[in-house]
Amino acid sequence: MNSAADKRMTEDLLRPLFHTSLKFYVAVAILGSGVIMGVGAWAYQAYYGIGETGLNWPVYWGFYLVNFVFWIGISHAGTLISAILRLVDAGWRRPVTRCAEAITAFALMIGGIFPLIHLGRPWLFFYLIPYPSDRGIWPNFRSPLVWDFFAIGTYLTASSLFLLLPMIPDFALVRDRTSGWRHRVYGLLAMGWQGSTKQWSRLESAMHIMAIAIIPIAVSVHTVVSFDFSMAVVPGWHSTIFGPYFVTGAIFSGIAGLIVAMAVLRRLLHLEDYLRPIHFQNLGKLLLAMSLLWGYFLFNERLVIWYGNETHEMGVFWATLAGEYAPFFWTMVVCNFVIPLSILAFKRTRTITGTVIASVGVVLGMWLERFLIIIPSLSYKQLPYSWGSYLPGWPEITIMVASFAAMGLLYLLFSKFVPIISIWELKGDDPTVTVPEEPEPRAASTRTAGEFV
Amino acid sequence: MDRRHFFKVTAASGATASLAGCGNPENQLIRFIPEEQLVPGVATLKPSVCPLCSAGCGVQVRVMDGDVEIVRNGQAGVMKKGLAKKLEGNPEHPINQGKLCARGQAAIQVTYHPDRITGPLRRTGPRGSGQFETITWDEALADLVSRLDTLANAGQSSGLAFLTRPLRGQKDVLVREFLRRFGAPDPIAFEVFSDSVLRRANELSFGYRQLPTLDLARSNYVLSLGADFLGTWNSPVAQNFGYGEMRQGRPGERAKFVQVEPRMSQTGANADEWIPAKPGTEGVLALGLAHVIMNEGLGSEEDAGRAGSLIEGWSEGLPEYTPEEVEALTGISQERVERLGREFAAATPAVAIIAGAPLAHTNSLFQALAVNALNALVGSVSTAGGVFFTSRPNMNPDLDPTVNAPGPGQPIDQFAADILAGDDSRVQILLLNDANPVFGTPEAWRVRDALSAVPFIASFGQFVDETSILADLILPDHSFLESWVDDLPESGAIGSIASVAPPAMRPLHETRAMADVLLEVARTLANPLDPAFGWDTYEDMLEAGFRTLPAPAGATVLWRRAQEDGGWFGEAQEQTPVPAEAERAPLVYSEPDFEGDPGQYPFHFLPYASQAFLDGSLAHLPWLQELPDVLSTAMWSSWVEINPETAAGLGIADGDMVEIASQQGSIEAPALLSPGIAPDVIAVPVGQGHETFTRYASGRGANPLRILAPLAEPETGTLAWAATRVRITRTEGEGNLILFAGALREVEERSR
Amino acid sequence: MAYKWGMAVDLDRCTGCEACVTACHAENNIATVGPEQADAGRAKHWIRIERYWEGEFPDVQVKFRPVMCQQCDEAPCEPVCPTYATYHTEEGLNAQVYNRCIGTRFCANACPYNVRFFNFYNPEWDKPLHLQLNPEVSLREVGVMEKCTFCIQRINHAKIDAKAEGLESIEDGTLQTACVQSCTANALVFGDLNDPESRVSRLSDSPRGSKLLEDLGTQPSVTYLQRDSEE
Ligand SMILES: Nc1nc2c(c(=O)[nH]1)N[C@H]1C(S)=C(S)[C@@H](COP(=O)(O)OP(=O)(O)OC[C@H]3O[C@@H](n4cnc5c(=O)[nH]c(N)nc54)[C@H](O)[C@@H]3O)O[C@H]1N2
Ligand SMILES: Nc1nc2c(c(=O)[nH]1)N[C@H]1C(S)=C(S)[C@@H](COP(=O)(O)OP(=O)(O)OC[C@H]3O[C@@H](n4cnc5c(=O)[nH]c(N)nc54)[C@H](O)[C@@H]3O)O[C@H]1N2
Ligand code: SF4
Ligand code: SF4
Ligand code: SF4
Ligand code: SF4
Ligand code: SF4
Repeated sequence: MNSAADKRMTEDLLRPLFHTSLKFYVAVAILGSGVIMGVGAWAYQAYYGIGETGLNWPVYWGFYLVNFVFWIGISHAGTLISAILRLVDAGWRRPVTRCAEAITAFALMIGGIFPLIHLGRPWLFFYLIPYPSDRGIWPNFRSPLVWDFFAIGTYLTASSLFLLLPMIPDFALVRDRTSGWRHRVYGLLAMGWQGSTKQWSRLESAMHIMAIAIIPIAVSVHTVVSFDFSMAVVPGWHSTIFGPYFVTGAIFSGIAGLIVAMAVLRRLLHLEDYLRPIHFQNLGKLLLAMSLLWGYFLFNERLVIWYGNETHEMGVFWATLAGEYAPFFWTMVVCNFVIPLSILAFKRTRTITGTVIASVGVVLGMWLERFLIIIPSLSYKQLPYSWGSYLPGWPEITIMVASFAAMGLLYLLFSKFVPIISIWELKGDDPTVTVPEEPEPRAASTRTAGEFV
Repeated sequence: MDRRHFFKVTAASGATASLAGCGNPENQLIRFIPEEQLVPGVATLKPSVCPLCSAGCGVQVRVMDGDVEIVRNGQAGVMKKGLAKKLEGNPEHPINQGKLCARGQAAIQVTYHPDRITGPLRRTGPRGSGQFETITWDEALADLVSRLDTLANAGQSSGLAFLTRPLRGQKDVLVREFLRRFGAPDPIAFEVFSDSVLRRANELSFGYRQLPTLDLARSNYVLSLGADFLGTWNSPVAQNFGYGEMRQGRPGERAKFVQVEPRMSQTGANADEWIPAKPGTEGVLALGLAHVIMNEGLGSEEDAGRAGSLIEGWSEGLPEYTPEEVEALTGISQERVERLGREFAAATPAVAIIAGAPLAHTNSLFQALAVNALNALVGSVSTAGGVFFTSRPNMNPDLDPTVNAPGPGQPIDQFAADILAGDDSRVQILLLNDANPVFGTPEAWRVRDALSAVPFIASFGQFVDETSILADLILPDHSFLESWVDDLPESGAIGSIASVAPPAMRPLHETRAMADVLLEVARTLANPLDPAFGWDTYEDMLEAGFRTLPAPAGATVLWRRAQEDGGWFGEAQEQTPVPAEAERAPLVYSEPDFEGDPGQYPFHFLPYASQAFLDGSLAHLPWLQELPDVLSTAMWSSWVEINPETAAGLGIADGDMVEIASQQGSIEAPALLSPGIAPDVIAVPVGQGHETFTRYASGRGANPLRILAPLAEPETGTLAWAATRVRITRTEGEGNLILFAGALREVEERSR
Repeated sequence: MAYKWGMAVDLDRCTGCEACVTACHAENNIATVGPEQADAGRAKHWIRIERYWEGEFPDVQVKFRPVMCQQCDEAPCEPVCPTYATYHTEEGLNAQVYNRCIGTRFCANACPYNVRFFNFYNPEWDKPLHLQLNPEVSLREVGVMEKCTFCIQRINHAKIDAKAEGLESIEDGTLQTACVQSCTANALVFGDLNDPESRVSRLSDSPRGSKLLEDLGTQPSVTYLQRDSEE
């Protein structure tokens, strides 16, 4: 096999681990201070009371739950996509999987925190945890919030595993090319990986099992999240379509998130040769499909309410379509449907720039969708005397911004310490990767650790 | 253990109790549950009387143990005492029968108010600066007494004036006697929403100068002309109670209720038929009905008797008041007038009520007399389902009879005018008791200037408000729960009532009961009042009064039972009406006067007593500030009610800040578009807009009373507070209307 | 026999006087939140008088409707509570355990009647207003949900009294919630629905009776008696 090519690829992909530019420190500083602001805002709110938010009677859920649903949604790209692609063994997935899986892990961590930030008495969050207490007190297993706790917990565990397993060989790779503390740390992470055929086959089968397991888990997670709403007799919430609707929306926003993340990495880490137009085009096709599916669900959901013309539902219906929330609604429709369709439907515009533009729109649109699911319904419940409205307070906005900063920071650090593209997978037969100035076809891969030394 | 038994226990323990260890001699006469008899956590029920409005509802105080940080003679400490925890209606009391209104429920916050005056104060800064120093009671009383002595010695006893909120019962007698014996004129009783016109009308029509008791429970038809009888007027709790019975208390029978008013009140919101009429023409409607009734032979002139004779053309069947004529004047269609006339005559017992804005015009005496005549015509006076005039016992037979039937004191505007006229030999010392005319009168009357010109003012008030801030000396009264309370209600129950109750709890602060302060002053004057009062304490005076009541079981038992039950509740006594006034010219409808030319000031201005604050005297109670006004659902706010079409015409949207200008001045408040108000009327609730009235009310909202025209009903001199015209414009200011409710309507709004 | 507490609200009697609203504040230590917080929509009124306008001037009408916790038998607020802080008692009450509440506000969303109120801050009473507080009702701290309890402290009190007086059950009428006790027009009637003779039972069977948002299947313990109209 051509060692020059491999060498170059390896160097390209490991460069971020060994060379730290000033840009990196600046970025970390900015994102880090964003996160710190968020933590500060939360501390302030916890000390002075949840009244610092814009929440009120009757809109008791606001930005925090919007962001909760949003981030859990984002988390649905990574693992799910890569799992599916692994199963169908789509070759082009190889450079994509790891950045995708990383998104899942981090989005889950961030999303999972919001329900706690949102508590009136966050210091008592542990009542949600089923732990044996001498009082024999357990959480209420009938409550969707408790289901959330389990669903998200499971998903986080599973997707973390799914992310970590395929990193082992690359850790080994780094271990073998370094000395000093790095050698020790990555040695630990590599968990004694020697690349023996036995280990390889174990890894492969583990990945296969995980890939199969992760799909139902992912689907269940956002279904459960949708139960937080659809289980309550609240106009606009109490709908059987919410499960699939939420899952679709989640994957939709997830793919968009992934595309944006890839574009950023491509720039920052100079991965133009590895994250190539083909990847964006393929993901763009997926995004297009999801956009159509999402549009179908939205239409379906709205039509049924309008046709049913049930008194209480109509209050919410009109508030979103024609009332005070209409601007958000139509922006959402444009971002999630009109723009993606008009860009991604045509090969000519399904370029990197095109898909990125569409994706940014979708991320915004899907955030609005969550806002529009939660706030108008609570503003217009059954008894008009109790109708109200909601504007976020400064802690809510700060913490939301901080959550994006946290995502960036985690991602940045991740790509700093872990090869963001799975090197060993990339080196597997991948038609999409042809290393420049290297005509010779590669021999069947005979990978062993240390080979690169 | 039943309630009655509780009363026995407490009254008994009270009788034997005396307050040890508190250097306050005046406390000697306060009854309370001694510590040893306090069962922690166990409530004791004690009677009292609600002081917040003229209804005089009986209260049942829930007293429980509690630890209080108190200061006595500069020494702070924690002591366990019986504390009022909750006020309920006194089930024994004939007026409110166990109920209390929203205000009565909040009365307990008067006692525990953080801004109550905790002891005697002497002014240090310039008048109105609100700078006072705390002094001892001895200093305070010495100061007052010496000034009164100086006045007396200078032979200027008439230079003493007493300005108070309307008093009743023995307290009223005590004040009158004090002034009389000192040689001072009668007290000046001030209230914003005075019923003097109606009292005068009832005196002329029926011979009783008092408010009517409504027997709603047995009425079959109620025609209310502007009377907010379910909200703020007369005896609201009694009237709500009766209303409930009249609607659903009699199986198969349900009275009809018609309300006539240009702005829908809480009362009007309950009407089966709501009719906006042209302001100041309500009496014409009443006579229109009378015309129909007489014309169609549904009733005959004679039936009206004395009341009818006061109306021009009555004996001829009111030819001036044909339905056509009435439609022209009131704007109510003649068909409707005829229908109402027939309904009214058919559905006996039917009763007509007039109060509020219709009696706040320059022609309001006519309006009241017209309604009286209508009631007399259908025979609804002193009969089941009609109006009654409650007999009130004379508890002081050996005093000058006029003391027991006091005439109206000098109107506040004349009082102010006299002072400002400069002949200041008139008022040298003013005693102020819980009246706030500076807040409650039109700017034009210049009451503030007048009072500022008085050399010395002493106030008994419990709070610093716009008027008492002018005082040189403040001798803070107890709260009603801390002192003896008594009352001779004017209306609300058919039977005869004399309410009384001992203190429900010990005073929280170094305050003293006004009545006892007066008695002490009377005693300690250089030449004590002559003839000397027969009573050492106000308690003695009350006992003496109650011992004169008809007591089959003996006076002692009656006095004891009265304290247990919260009063003496007797049968209706036969009253001798005041004889009709000879050669009094019958009245005819005359256009009411309005200040402000319709071109410049196109709107009728309607200030109205607010559900929470009445005339503003309750704006200091946080529960009432946060009580959503039932129609607007506003909290902590003032607002301006405007008809949506009018608002659209003026480019005013809900919540916009608007300026209301009369010839007298202008106020600003946020607009509230309401379907329940006539296009040519602008309404603003009274109560907010205090400059100085505790942390909760000060600097909040606007006070509509200040921009009223200084017009009055000529015969009684009562302020014609509905006689002002205004113009309204949108301003740049930010409206901050705090509403509890989201939507105005239940169905329509969903499909906007 | 076990009690089943219920209330009847006669809309033909209710005059919108709001005595019940203040009475509830006084009995249940409900803190006022002040103008700024009230403006922010944080005012707490366990019972409110809903008023709905109908028609346009001059043919305009108002309907009053007192709304407090309906103590639903199938309470949507209960299953969603992750900590059992709100739960159903044997006597059909929807109870609230403040110590268990962590402030997710899920229950309030699930309640179709919007009668649940949240403590956005610690309640405050300017001294000495705190001396009025009812020792039989616990205060609620920041982050805790609260709502009408049917004056459970009075129910418990009455049970103890009845026992002390050797009665086997509370006599109808002797037990009144604060709002009922104060209701000036006797529009509110409280009592035991398991006692067919109680006033509340008889009123609840009235042909004028109906439940609020009945179609949602919450099975409220409060019955509204429709207003008779002239025409
Ligand atoms: N919301 C809420 N409810 C609770 C609890 C909670 O944490 N929150 N805790 C539960 C628990 S664990 C308990 S033990 C109960 C306690 O329930 P309670 O015992 O009812 O509560 P307390 O207020 O402590 O005491 C009741 C009354 O006893 C009075 N008292 C004090 N000393 C004496 C005395 O010497 N003699 C007499 N006769 N009375 C006295 C007090 O003034 C008080 O009014 O509450 C239970 N209920
Ligand atoms: N000031 C004051 N002190 C008192 C009393 C009083 O009335 N007043 N009462 C005395 C009496 S009788 C008693 S029984 C004690 C009670 O003393 P505690 O038991 O300390 O009082 P609580 O606040 O009822 O409960 C303690 C904590 O349990 C938390 N909790 C609720 N559910 C759970 C759960 O599932 N898991 C965990 N880990 N915690 C949970 C509550 O949020 C609370 O913070 O207080 C005693 N001390
Ligand atoms: S009507 Fe209300 S305020 Fe007036 S006395 Fe009765 S309870 Fe007090
Ligand atoms: S009314 Fe609301 S809070 Fe009360 S029981 Fe029903 S659902 Fe729960
Ligand atoms: S707010 Fe409290 S009571 Fe309501 S659901 Fe959350 S924990 Fe339960
Ligand atoms: S029943 Fe008690 S808690 Fe419920 S509204 Fe009435 S007074 Fe308030
Ligand atoms: S107290 Fe009775 S009448 Fe008054 S508002 Fe409340 S329910 Fe209606």
